[in-house]
Amino acid sequence: MKIDIVRLEIFKHLFASIPEEMGAALQRASFSPNIKERRDYSCALFDPQGEMIAQAAHIPVHLGAMPLSVQAAIGSMAFAEGDMAILNDPYQGGTHLPDITLIAPVFTGGQLAGFVANRAHHADVGGMAPGSMPVARELVQEGLILPPVKLFVAGELQTGVWDIILRNTRSPQERAGDLRAQIAANQRGVRRLADLVAAYGLPEVQHYAAALLDYTERLTRALIARLPDGSFEFADALDDDGLGNGPLPIRVRIDIHGDEAIVDFAGTASQAQGSVNAVYAITLSAVYYVFRCLVDSEVPNNTGSLRAIRVHAPEGSLVNARPPAPVVGGNVETSQRIVDVLLGALAQALPDHIPAASQGTMNNTLIGGWDPARGRAFTYYETVAGGVGARPTADGPSGLHSHMTNTLNTPAEAMEYAYPIQVLRYELRENTGGAGKHRGGDGLRRDLLLQTEATASLLSERRTRQPYGLAGGAPGAVGENVLIREGVEQPLPAKGQVHLRAGDVLSVRTPGGGGWG
Amino acid sequence: MRIGVDTGGTFTDFVVFDPASGQLSSFKVRSTPHDPSAAILQGLARLQAHAPRHIVHGSTVATNAVLERKGAKVALVNTAGFRDVLHIARQERPALYDLFADPPAPLVPRQHRLEISERIAADGSLRTPLDEAALDALIAHCQREGIEAVAICLLFSFANPAHEQAIASRFVAAGFNVSASHQILPEFREYERASTTVLNAYVSPVMSRYLGKLAAALPGYHVQVMQSNGGMSSPHQAAQQAVRCILSGPAGGLVAAQAVANAAGHPRVLTFDMGGTSTDVALINGVAQVSRNSRIGGLPVHVPMLAIHTVGSGGGSIAWQDAGGGLQVGPHSAGAEPGPAAYGRGELPTVTDANLLLGRIQPHLFFGGQMALDAERARAAFEQLGARLGLSAEACALGAVQIANAHMARALRVISVEKGHDPRDFTLLAFGGAGGLHAAELARALGAPRVLVPHYAATLSALGMLLADVVKDVSQTVMLPGDTPFPQLEQRLAPLLERGHAELAAEGVPVAQMQLHASADLRYAGQSFELNLPFTPQLLADFHQAHQQAYGYHDAAAQVQLVNLRVQAVGQTQRPTLPVYEPDDAPVEAALLGRYPVRFADAQVETPFYDAARLSVGLQFTGPAVVVRPDTTILVGPGDAAEVDAFLNLIITLGAA
Repeated sequence: MKIDIVRLEIFKHLFASIPEEMGAALQRASFSPNIKERRDYSCALFDPQGEMIAQAAHIPVHLGAMPLSVQAAIGSMAFAEGDMAILNDPYQGGTHLPDITLIAPVFTGGQLAGFVANRAHHADVGGMAPGSMPVARELVQEGLILPPVKLFVAGELQTGVWDIILRNTRSPQERAGDLRAQIAANQRGVRRLADLVAAYGLPEVQHYAAALLDYTERLTRALIARLPDGSFEFADALDDDGLGNGPLPIRVRIDIHGDEAIVDFAGTASQAQGSVNAVYAITLSAVYYVFRCLVDSEVPNNTGSLRAIRVHAPEGSLVNARPPAPVVGGNVETSQRIVDVLLGALAQALPDHIPAASQGTMNNTLIGGWDPARGRAFTYYETVAGGVGARPTADGPSGLHSHMTNTLNTPAEAMEYAYPIQVLRYELRENTGGAGKHRGGDGLRRDLLLQTEATASLLSERRTRQPYGLAGGAPGAVGENVLIREGVEQPLPAKGQVHLRAGDVLSVRTPGGGGWG
Repeated sequence: MRIGVDTGGTFTDFVVFDPASGQLSSFKVRSTPHDPSAAILQGLARLQAHAPRHIVHGSTVATNAVLERKGAKVALVNTAGFRDVLHIARQERPALYDLFADPPAPLVPRQHRLEISERIAADGSLRTPLDEAALDALIAHCQREGIEAVAICLLFSFANPAHEQAIASRFVAAGFNVSASHQILPEFREYERASTTVLNAYVSPVMSRYLGKLAAALPGYHVQVMQSNGGMSSPHQAAQQAVRCILSGPAGGLVAAQAVANAAGHPRVLTFDMGGTSTDVALINGVAQVSRNSRIGGLPVHVPMLAIHTVGSGGGSIAWQDAGGGLQVGPHSAGAEPGPAAYGRGELPTVTDANLLLGRIQPHLFFGGQMALDAERARAAFEQLGARLGLSAEACALGAVQIANAHMARALRVISVEKGHDPRDFTLLAFGGAGGLHAAELARALGAPRVLVPHYAATLSALGMLLADVVKDVSQTVMLPGDTPFPQLEQRLAPLLERGHAELAAEGVPVAQMQLHASADLRYAGQSFELNLPFTPQLLADFHQAHQQAYGYHDAAAQVQLVNLRVQAVGQTQRPTLPVYEPDDAPVEAALLGRYPVRFADAQVETPFYDAARLSVGLQFTGPAVVVRPDTTILVGPGDAAEVDAFLNLIITLGAA
């Protein structure tokens, strides 16, 4: 079959609209603010071999990870019509335990036409701390582990699996609501792909799915071909793993040969004792994200772009951890540092197109406990924005999410309605962005007053090592976590659990971005 | 005599209703962007003197002030610790994969975002008293800095406005134009409330000056202003709450689309307003949908507005080849300058050029032949692009039209399928200069069975101004348990009803024509989104049922929160009914302008072009055909059937021939 370029472009829109509609269905039906309002989810469409054809991504860290989920599911079970698999095991297709992925096959006329999948961040999946983002020593402490397992068999909900999941979370009602939304999203995707096959026939759909992957590969190769050939190296480090081990270096070498790139993380630290380990899917997502930022925004999100890029991540290292290493921070913290080193290396190839380092952390803040006024348990989770790195053409924005996340904040007024927590300050940290011809963006300060005792989990970075500047620009200021108790400030660690008393103020102060020039 | 006047970028449209004869007439005057009232005066001068005259005006003054960043110099007063809320917004970046895309800069720079020590708790109780002594310094700052308008947004001011009121009265006494958040949007979520309040402060002085000037130029006229909620308001209110008029013109279009669709017997429509650089789409399910979380220029506006979704694809969108060898259309547009290649200045092929090349536009019939089109230039542009892609100029042009349609189909899916509606149940209602050429093919791509092109397609917004009621929206966040006894809820609702009544009375609406619709926003505790339901004693049961319907599940045992109370106060106006026309015996051939070759997906077909003005009621014809109006062109595809209905709307039934 010949490729008609007009039809290819029309199929691009048709394929893209399937995960977009799944995402709209998921957002509409989901229960928790984390999915509904902060949009911490992604949806994608796959061919029968598990190659991703289209993804509606709200969260870049899911980019490279979704195909690995589908491949893990395909590799561990046989699918029939009406089946749906569920998983969160970071060592079998997942990334970290709060991200739960549901995968459904699509059959048309008895033939496998492809798969749809969606992944959403659940506010609690059990484990040693509310919010399931503790500083742990092994994966099993981080929460309930779901290897790929069937949640539906021939259209029937497997109630045993369902009950086990809900019994292992601190917020079963919310989990049930969100999982139902995920199921509905996949069912929507199954119907939509079946409609497409009904309209165009399976051969044509598959023909253009393959053509779209080739097309994305060509676009990516065209981008890489524009980069100068050569070897570009960069290194940076994580502050620590939360257990006193650090700094933990991450090294990368990017080799550009013609229209191919080899990304090699040799020399990166071994996997850590604490929860900062990234599984391979995270590393792949970070690579994917960085190259995605360099190409035009019209490029489809699919695995075709990865064909021109080879990624080597040493097994057992910080960027390709092996069991039973704990991994929850790999997704939210280490992923940001991987982006930092990739951009640092590419800045040598493309000095006029790469910004200085952004805050390089998500400043994960979790607070949980018992709310006496409302008579119920509570779990609050938020990522806090910070300074963005200065660009070769402009200052970096202040107080904005960068790179691997883009979730919304919780309004101060919503906080007071929902939790025994009062926001006292939410403001820019002046002059925390690095100086330069273009200044890095400023970080934020968010002060939370506890009205009851509670446990806080902090998972943050760039508390000792500053976000780098480029082209002579100064680095951004480091962030700080501070406990204000009875008016006295005490420093808190970058990572770890803290017991808070009523009247304590937890002050999260986020890093500035690096300066440029 | 009632006159609807809609100021647009290129034309100012007039629709005139004479109550004595029941007749509607319409015309256009070139807009005068430097002083929009000049075009209005020119248009009015064309009308015979009939007293009294009543004008309903849709204005782009507020919109343009925001989009061009030409509003007032504003200061914002915040609760201490929260001066940067306006900057931080919701902390998300506008584009995931663009390292150079910045969020819109806040309308108030940091040095004019002022803090004052005070704090009200969620239940409205006092936590920290207002530091009134500090106000002098804030007022002095604003005087020194030449601030024109002051916005005030304190935490939980909607629960207890005492502090905002105290600050407002001091600034008013000092001579400032003041917008206080508890008056503009008494609802929780401080960023969106601040954004809406600041926008109001930013556009109100501009709107006030404009409306003052207009009133001075039109002595003896009764003027009302169209709001974005589809209702109208007095100029006084429009100047005070100018943020409510930000999408005044497009709202008029939807009001008229709703009336036309209902009268024609096709109450469920997807509207499709395709212009040169962008396309507006909206869903009307009997009534136009209201959004309470719109944006203008990237900034949130949370007062109720008719829901309109805009995509950056239009007649001026440029076709180009990307690095992967693909054909793309947009998002770059040739705009008005240089415009499509055929206009004689641009070099790049656009969607309009494609339509010309395909024979769908005939140069001598375009805009009544008043606008010279260079068909050879359009062909050359597509030949160049086609050569790079290995396509003929015609194939390339056809592809560009199909790809533009794919973009717009996706926008229409966003407002229908993604909201749980099936396009197969809807009629595509097309208006705007370029809409008619694309509507039938677009409807086919969506599975919509028919297309409706209104008789007033070219002046639909101005018609909507004549069909609008006076509409006032009042709201209040209350955050009460869902099982609060109904009499207690009624007590909380009473002040909203009073305010709605008072606002209508202030507009001169007689009590007999007032309608007050009360509703409430509910959610399960822990959710961050609400469902809006009519305010009745069965509110709670209705909520569970509505949740089941909208999201597929409910939980009768779960705790429910009643978040907001709302009142929509409607003052019904005496509105014109759409005139019904009589059939005459003129055959379709009487309207024939000529036959020209038109390129379709399968073949090139000799196609009749008809003059819309000579197509009378009841006429039926089959495609392929092209209907030409002075301001727009409508394509009827091969296999489609067209009919002129009693309102002179053109109805195209797909695949019915």
